[in-house]
Amino acid sequence: MKIIVLNCGSSSIKYQLFEMPAKEVLAKGLVDKIGLKGASIKHKRNDGKELILEGEIIDHQAGIEHLLAILISEKYGSIKSLEEIEAVGHRVVHAGEKFSSSVLITDEVIYALEECIELAPLHNPPNLKGIYAMKDLLPSVIQIGVFDTAFHQTMPPKSFLYGIPYALYEKYKIRRYGFHGTSHKYVSQRACDILGLDITKQKIITCHLGNGASMAAILDGKSLDTSMGMTPTEGLIMGTRCGDLDVGALLYIADKEETSIPFTNTLINKFSGMIGISGVSSDMRDIEAAAAEGNERAKISLEMYQYRVKKYIGAYAAAMGGVDLIIFTGGIGENDTATRTKSLEGLEFLGVEIDVKKSLKSRGKEDVISLPKSKVTVIVVPTDEELMIASDTYTIHEHILEETGY
Amino acid sequence: MNESLEDFTLGKRIQPKGIIQKIGLIGCGMVGQEITIAISTSGLDVIFLDTDSDRIKEIIDQISVQLDEVIKHWGLTTSEKRAILSRIKGTIDYEDLADCDVVIESISSRKRGTSIEIRKEIFRKVEQVVRHDAIISSNITTLMISDLASVLKHPDRAIGIHFILPVQKANVVEVVRGISSSEYAYNQAIKFAGMIDKKVIHLNESPGNIVTRMLVTTINEACELLMEGVASVKDIDFAMKESFSNLYGPFEMADRIGLDKVLKYMDNLYMEFGDKKYKPAPIIKRLVRANYLGKITGKGFYNYQSGKAVDQTVTLSMIKK
Repeated sequence: MKIIVLNCGSSSIKYQLFEMPAKEVLAKGLVDKIGLKGASIKHKRNDGKELILEGEIIDHQAGIEHLLAILISEKYGSIKSLEEIEAVGHRVVHAGEKFSSSVLITDEVIYALEECIELAPLHNPPNLKGIYAMKDLLPSVIQIGVFDTAFHQTMPPKSFLYGIPYALYEKYKIRRYGFHGTSHKYVSQRACDILGLDITKQKIITCHLGNGASMAAILDGKSLDTSMGMTPTEGLIMGTRCGDLDVGALLYIADKEETSIPFTNTLINKFSGMIGISGVSSDMRDIEAAAAEGNERAKISLEMYQYRVKKYIGAYAAAMGGVDLIIFTGGIGENDTATRTKSLEGLEFLGVEIDVKKSLKSRGKEDVISLPKSKVTVIVVPTDEELMIASDTYTIHEHILEETGY
Repeated sequence: MNESLEDFTLGKRIQPKGIIQKIGLIGCGMVGQEITIAISTSGLDVIFLDTDSDRIKEIIDQISVQLDEVIKHWGLTTSEKRAILSRIKGTIDYEDLADCDVVIESISSRKRGTSIEIRKEIFRKVEQVVRHDAIISSNITTLMISDLASVLKHPDRAIGIHFILPVQKANVVEVVRGISSSEYAYNQAIKFAGMIDKKVIHLNESPGNIVTRMLVTTINEACELLMEGVASVKDIDFAMKESFSNLYGPFEMADRIGLDKVLKYMDNLYMEFGDKKYKPAPIIKRLVRANYLGKITGKGFYNYQSGKAVDQTVTLSMIKK
């Protein structure tokens, strides 16, 4: 069956057409600059045939209409008619406390997601636009919502609550939600598949290290804790985000520099992290090059990055009473071999023994980088959030078919 | 490439008109520059029209300096600044406004006497070059949008959009309907406000709208207090700021806007309503005559050094003399 996966941003739509359960990508593309001049669609079919169109795309619905028309076109299409599409999977960033797994999108679900707009004012509205558009264009097709926050909804209060007045949690739902859930879920499942392990009996630490970065402690297949918080600013040091920071220090900075709330937001999300410390770049490759040339701040920033990852590994191992499996994913986790390897240095006491040579060489592929004798297995698994969305969509679709007796 | 987007549609609907991407601005003084920055920061293109090419270069430089100030306070990254500047163009030719979706007149209202005729002429010239669906607006405070619209062939496209100062900090605009403003023009103005992240205050036209009318009477009352010797400039500002969590006191606000402009607002409102609460306080006239116009000349109710108020110029002893 054919499934479309949509990831709608404020002015873009990423899409993939899947053949499921074969997990085959038939076509994918990007609708860009929606609502702006110079809008475009880049479409690529799995046989390599490409199409680039430019023009005016007034809103998300128009963009989706164009991409559907391309998918059924004779020259560039992959399907004969829209009837072939059996389900649509939507990536939705924030589902608050409403959903702890992917769900069939009904009017009630849409209403619940609209209520979550305050928690993700930049991300949820475009996600919803994609849902409205598909509802309008393919009214009889099943739509599934897959949420970035859902996987972490298994966290217990001791890990999701902050040490602030409880009334604030009750009033505004101020708490840790965590992000990258689809990725943490995918790589933990995939790693267990590769290694032939039963995920419900594992203590797993996942490290999603990209431009945004987060880690998760996954106990018996369920998220126990994660480093990102109510917003993606908390936790690890990232490309331009500060990660963990004393809030008292932030108040002091705001007072001294007379920064307004929006400016303070820019300070911690765009000026901080690796670019703020190194002064070089937010890109690890540039920072590593600068460090190799003797740039002291670049060196310090790398040490800080690695130290923070290591600290979280220690914390999560303690939280779970040990660790069986450590997984690296994301641009840095998959490709920045030095950072990955150094983050794991000195963890022999925990039972982590790295095949250093292999770890320094292996890039962008599924690969075990610990020694065979290591008590803890360390593995690299490239993430594939779109496939995870397609799989969830497929599973729910099959389930509905069974229930309704089609 | 032979294919176009039109070749790939489901034929479900006709694309509605009214995309907003490029904004024209006539006049780019202090206020015009703040508006330019606010629009461009939101990802829209701005083309401003001013008197000559030297002035245009000067304006771009001034905008660049203002953006550097924002960077210093962590509000912007240097790459964001480059992107913002790349969206700003200057011109001296009305023809360059032809593809603008919204054109806003924002000429300086510094000179004494009415500027209505100059603004009307601008409206006429703009209408000659823009598309039929472009809306024409003015950042007017005490003048009326219907007055300006009267010179247009299609007066229904005119709508008032009043930016509150400082534009970057005040997250509201006043959208003012004239007598003949169309629903389309109104909706475009609302959409535009949303795109630049401003909340909308809806109102029917009336000189001074809400904000200016409330503000000038407050400034006048503050001057009364000062002239009666009740309290100093600093103390009156302090009281109003601290009591109501205002960013600025009435005198600071007057200095920011420019006392010449404040005086003009008062003149216009006094002329319109005839109520003496709008009659400019003598101290404002006195300061304007001495070219104490506020921040822009470095002296107003306060003395300014590199843009910061250092002390008050008008003291109690000076008034009592």
